Amino acid sequence: MTVITAATPAPPRARRVASRQQWIGLLYVAPAVALVVVFFLIPLGMTAWMSLHNWPLMGEHSFIGLGNYVAILRDTRFWNALRFTAFYTVIVTIAIFVVAFPLALFVERPRPLTNLYRTMFFMPAVVGFASASLLWSWLLNVDSGLFSPAAYDLGLIDRKFNLLATFQPAFWSIIAMVVWKVAGFTMIILMAGLQSIPQDLQEAAVIDGAGPFARFRAITLPLMRRTLALALILSVAGSILAFDQFYIILRGGPRNQTLTAVYWIFNQSFVSFKLGYGAALSMVLLVILVALSLVQLWLLRKPEGLD
Amino acid sequence: MRNLIAKLTLAAAVLGGGLGTAAAETANIWVRADGSNFMPRIVDAYNKAHTNQVKLDIIPNAEIIPKYGAAAAGGTAPDALSLDLIYTPSFAAAGQLEDITDWAKSLPYFASLSPAHVKTGTYKDHIYGLPFSADASVLIWNKKLFKQAGLDPEKGPANWAEIAADAEKVNALGGNIKGFYFSGNCGGCNIFTFTPLIWASGGDILSEDGSKATLDSPQLRGAIDLYRSMVKKDLVPAGAQTDTGANFFAAFAAGNIGISPSGAFAIGALNTQYPDIDYGVTFLPGKDSGWSSFAGGDNFVVTKGTTKLPVVKEFLDFAYSLEGQTILAKYGSLPVRGDIAKEALKDLDPRYQVASEAMAKGKTPYSVVFNDLINSANGPWTQMINEVFFGDDVDGAIANAQETMQSIIDQAPQK
Repeated sequence: MTVITAATPAPPRARRVASRQQWIGLLYVAPAVALVVVFFLIPLGMTAWMSLHNWPLMGEHSFIGLGNYVAILRDTRFWNALRFTAFYTVIVTIAIFVVAFPLALFVERPRPLTNLYRTMFFMPAVVGFASASLLWSWLLNVDSGLFSPAAYDLGLIDRKFNLLATFQPAFWSIIAMVVWKVAGFTMIILMAGLQSIPQDLQEAAVIDGAGPFARFRAITLPLMRRTLALALILSVAGSILAFDQFYIILRGGPRNQTLTAVYWIFNQSFVSFKLGYGAALSMVLLVILVALSLVQLWLLRKPEGLD
Repeated sequence: MRNLIAKLTLAAAVLGGGLGTAAAETANIWVRADGSNFMPRIVDAYNKAHTNQVKLDIIPNAEIIPKYGAAAAGGTAPDALSLDLIYTPSFAAAGQLEDITDWAKSLPYFASLSPAHVKTGTYKDHIYGLPFSADASVLIWNKKLFKQAGLDPEKGPANWAEIAADAEKVNALGGNIKGFYFSGNCGGCNIFTFTPLIWASGGDILSEDGSKATLDSPQLRGAIDLYRSMVKKDLVPAGAQTDTGANFFAAFAAGNIGISPSGAFAIGALNTQYPDIDYGVTFLPGKDSGWSSFAGGDNFVVTKGTTKLPVVKEFLDFAYSLEGQTILAKYGSLPVRGDIAKEALKDLDPRYQVASEAMAKGKTPYSVVFNDLINSANGPWTQMINEVFFGDDVDGAIANAQETMQSIIDQAPQK
């Protein structure tokens, strides 16, 4: 009897408990949801709304439908900026991984002074991009900086060489600065991935007679798929949004050859005062970025049958 | 806690009482960082002598335009603003400024106000801005280095050939010493100091009303050749090629540059911060003779619809008084009232007189897209000067800049 009476009301109560738990769950995520709504969704909606207007920094704005987007199609300087951004992203991502992967392998295993090395390599990552750019713009200064005057004083070059005056040295200086700044962070991500690979797999492979290269290719890389995806997406997204270093160190120079997409959006919005057009450019860049991230996730998706 | 409440109540009482007895109004005024030396002084002097008060905010140079635009959109714009004069046309065109034509014309000394300021402050025959602070471009030279190089330290160069020859002699001293300096990647610096060389020789880069770009002129090419030849002879430090303006003043102030184009602001800055540098001030010369100058500085503009117009007018009246003009001059701005300029400057460094004369006869280009054309670090002017001073293809750079500038002008909103 008691069993039956207890059993009959059980489903509704269980449902009530479940729904109350859901409400409590919602309550717990509410602050995060509120943050996303206030600081992401609403601004995003406003950007989309502004992009449909002729919206000067000052004065009246007027609705122009897709006029801004049509103008973007003809804006060759934006497409040039986008092309440069893509070029920069490819180069800098490769450079970061080429430096960060060996570093991660080096600091992964405990050995004397490991913590010191980890700290040393990671240190530049805690400096803001703007501060790092200011530091490097001094290091790279031809008259009062470090590299060129030092090389001159050491007798390595006959006359001081202005690293920022022509495209190639200026571009590679920026790459060096970004690698210095970001590689430590990527190293930490990759190191965490390396450490999550079970040691017994490696040992089993050693017993099977696999050499270090085979082990790296057949065990390390496949098992680091997700870590690599994370590091890659962070690096690509960060590079496509690059602005600070080109603005502070190069001002888009020499001769406007290093204008990135975000730099162009900034110029349109705050130099030419065309906020609506800048918003439209931002929407285009957002779509490109989301598409690229989806492609990367798809490329590095979990293979069939692998947990 | 009780203590805190008591303090708050006291503060409120003091504030309330203060406002109550004074029955005064407070106007908010912004100024760009270039005015951070003289502006607080003149505001203090005004506040001491008047019941109405002015509250001043100093905004970084690069931030003041976007910040003002955002504030205006949000309804929190200041009542008035000391605005880089070249922006007055575009602000007026945007419908952001109060039309002050009647008041301006009622000023008894209206005719002797700096003509460059009034010209840029006028949009479609209405006046939206009146001169506030002034800075004129001049040529400065290091007397100590001139003496060491065997030149007459009291005689600055008076034409292009003398600039090149003097720079070469100073450069021959060797070591760290270089003959000439300019910021080779800074559009704003070069419109200020390089175009006067062209004007003084009879050329110009924009038509009078700003509707045509006129870059392809023998005067521009001549001035380019002057700079190029000095770069080629290594009379200019290598850093000039990439200087976006950071060293515009600092390079000369370090004491190892013979000649540098600069502005009247340098007089105040050198006197107060680098008293050891012995320097002379002269005009930016034309090719063979004559001189010209860029008359720059700030226009005083009023936000459309402000309720504090009487305070703003009272403040500007004070700034135009002899007392106001003297305060401005003493702390780094040239006087903007031609009729009392001499009197305001009479106890100050005599080198100000040269700059003041340069100001009076100076020119200012007029354009509603000045920022896009000239000041933008990525605009056609900045790109061109860098290419023509240091690159290989002078003709291509000029043609390219001419085309880009004209298309920017043509695409500008015509209101």
